[in-house]
Amino acid sequence: MNVAPILELKGLTKRFGGLTAVNDVSMSVREGGISGLIGPNGAGKTTIFNLITGVYKVSEGAIEFKGKSILDREPYQIANLGITRTFQNIRLFKNLSVFDNVLTACHMSAKYSLLESFFRLPRFYREEVILRKKAESLLDVMGLSDRADLTANNLPYGLQRRLEITRALALDPALLLLDEPAAGMNPDETEQLMRLMEEIRKSHNLSILVIEHHMDLVMGVCDHIHVLNFGCTLADGPPDDVANDPKVVEAYLGGEEIKSC
Amino acid sequence: MAQFLQQLVNGLSIGSIYALMAVGYSLVYSIMNFSNFAHGSVIMLGAYLGYYSMTLLGLPFWLAFIAAALGTALIAVVLERLAYKPLRDRKATFLYFIITAMGASIFIDNFVIATIGPTPKMFPAVFAQGPILFGKIALGRIDLAMFVISAICLAALIIFIDYTKMGKAIQATSFNMKASTLMGINTNMVIFIVFAIGGALAGIAGVLYGMKYQVFPQIGGITLKSFIAAVFGGLGSLPGALLGALVLGLVETLVSGYLSTQYRDLIAFLILITMLIVRPSGIMGKNAEDKA
Amino acid sequence: MEYILGILILSAINLVAVLGLSVLTGFTGLFSFGHAGFMAIGAYTSAIVTARLHLPFAVGLLAAGLVAGIISIGLGRLTLKLKGDYFCIATMGFGEIVKPLLNNWKWVGGARGWESIPKYGGISLLLPFAVAVIAVILSWNLINSRQGRNMVAVREEELAAQMAGVNVLRSKMIALVFSAVLAGIAGGLMANFIGFIAPKTFNMVKSTELTIIVIFGGLGSISGSVVAALLLTVLPELFRAFSSWRLVFYGLAVMIIMIGRPKGLMGGLELTPTSLRKAAAARKAKRDTAAATAEGEKR
Repeated sequence: MNVAPILELKGLTKRFGGLTAVNDVSMSVREGGISGLIGPNGAGKTTIFNLITGVYKVSEGAIEFKGKSILDREPYQIANLGITRTFQNIRLFKNLSVFDNVLTACHMSAKYSLLESFFRLPRFYREEVILRKKAESLLDVMGLSDRADLTANNLPYGLQRRLEITRALALDPALLLLDEPAAGMNPDETEQLMRLMEEIRKSHNLSILVIEHHMDLVMGVCDHIHVLNFGCTLADGPPDDVANDPKVVEAYLGGEEIKSC
Repeated sequence: MAQFLQQLVNGLSIGSIYALMAVGYSLVYSIMNFSNFAHGSVIMLGAYLGYYSMTLLGLPFWLAFIAAALGTALIAVVLERLAYKPLRDRKATFLYFIITAMGASIFIDNFVIATIGPTPKMFPAVFAQGPILFGKIALGRIDLAMFVISAICLAALIIFIDYTKMGKAIQATSFNMKASTLMGINTNMVIFIVFAIGGALAGIAGVLYGMKYQVFPQIGGITLKSFIAAVFGGLGSLPGALLGALVLGLVETLVSGYLSTQYRDLIAFLILITMLIVRPSGIMGKNAEDKA
Repeated sequence: MEYILGILILSAINLVAVLGLSVLTGFTGLFSFGHAGFMAIGAYTSAIVTARLHLPFAVGLLAAGLVAGIISIGLGRLTLKLKGDYFCIATMGFGEIVKPLLNNWKWVGGARGWESIPKYGGISLLLPFAVAVIAVILSWNLINSRQGRNMVAVREEELAAQMAGVNVLRSKMIALVFSAVLAGIAGGLMANFIGFIAPKTFNMVKSTELTIIVIFGGLGSISGSVVAALLLTVLPELFRAFSSWRLVFYGLAVMIIMIGRPKGLMGGLELTPTSLRKAAAARKAKRDTAAATAEGEKR
């Protein structure tokens, strides 16, 4: 367990006006591991994702990715450094085909310039072929090839989630953030998703941080769990320890309200 | 000094009309989150309704106001139902709303040009010609009427928003439409009311503008100024729209008075751009961080 | 003959400006009320270069595109960070600022306009068409590149685009500058083929008319924009008698398109050999199945 963390949050705090959504949270994601981020609704889980990906500006604290601070980076730069994500309420490029959704996200694998695009210089053609091959093979791996021409909006719900993960993988990330990937899925689909997470972790050499309410999924795939409540850390550790933590049990089963940290 | 005070008075009077326009526009923005660019055309229709109520129907001028306000309220509501509601139902992005609003505005303006014609029309004289004198400051009777009527309307609006149940529902909806729906607020009703109020204010503003100047199909274009006012104060904020309108009215009359009328619009739009760059949320606008 | 040529030149000029807006509005999802401002800048630049500096027409056109492009970079730097409506309003402000500035600039004719700009005949008459063809090719190439796909991603879902590593600001900037350069060149063509320009030609109605053409052709379709630009320049000339109703019809049609068929004439599709073949194949398949079921019913 002595592998260096790929992502480290130190004393992370986010305030919206008078409301402290995330309060002094410190946690880390081990390289090659699957970490879970759980907690009741409104605990600040998605806010943490938005802080890591640069959508929100951090009020206090530090975020280090591969040992380097990413606080002053723009969201797109963070994505290109190797942190990609999915959204709680799926955000696909709805009117584009499944193939184009993935092809668009492959853009960083091609290095041709704007000028080469305008005038269709040789490198444009060479690299476009590579891009298309990459998109095709990603769709193949994720089992979406037979729907490549379908408009993303017309995909069944479960496959939309899968497409969103595929799109995130197109950037060759080192860290994948999944925001409630099993929301709205039946036990069968959840089972499939868990297997998928294991597979892509191995095949893409990924670390994964997942927000989830399905306890089966969290307990099943995560090797480390961080529990939030009202923006504060409630517990942090291996699944078994966390599951037996009285504070966690209380928060989930609704004992007395724990408002202070 | 007297000249300055005179400009101040003129500025407040024109500013009060801008306020009527800007408040209606801002109210719709606060609920729908898009700029209703057809608002100017509704104002123009209000001016024509007022004009024809007086000339064709021979109504007294206070009835003409009411007729125009009711007419434009109806037009605004019908516009919402026919043009914007289908987009809302489809959850279309704001681009579609703004293009539809532009289409509506082009349609209305040019329909008036094609049917009534582009020639400006003069309102029948309602007020005596001579200004009221306060020492050295001359106050036009129409200017005074503009100021008083605008102030009454705005006061009524503020009371409505702050002290009635529907007003509170409007505030809640502008804060968060989805949550308001979940709390049992009939947001369709809120939207209906907001368009009706915005339309009615537009009608009154149109009549006042027509009385002060003339009635012509391009009045809607001139009301672009009300957008500036609303942006200056902060889109979606009523006090902001009010303040922005008064500031704009003052700046315009001062520029016309001390520099040249040719620079009036230039300065107005420069203020707009500067404001957008320095503080896009305006003086009093809500500064929302995009929720992911 | 000269009349027909005039209309064709006008449609080529409109096409050039429309293509830029097609990329900006149709593909990137940005709405501008101020592109007549860029046309004005291009028109006056080209007029100055040809009439005052006595340089060739081609130089005038290049300068027109260049100056409009540079100014659009400045405008973009200041306003592209603004969200949705605010950007629209800022472009409106920009367009409205250009007009009074030109009105007050006596050296180029002021509010009364500028006559006696050199007009070109002979071989130069081919220039608008050449420019239009080049503009179509460049737009097409841009849209079908990774930069173009990034623009569409920005239109579809800005946040998701960012999370997919798209530099949203840069994508928007490319679209804005491209559209401004084309608008500037279109303005330059206009100045030197009509021979007269006035600030009031480049008002907001001109801006919205260009956008209307894009909407008729369908948001997100280059070929749609081409067809619409040609149709909407030629048709009004044929129906001159109804000219006062033209904009009434346009406004109504825009509303109906947005409400009923938001993708416009072409339904967001492109007119290419491949897409035509696909459509033909689909129709044939439909006919065959229809025939087969009819056959089955007979038995």
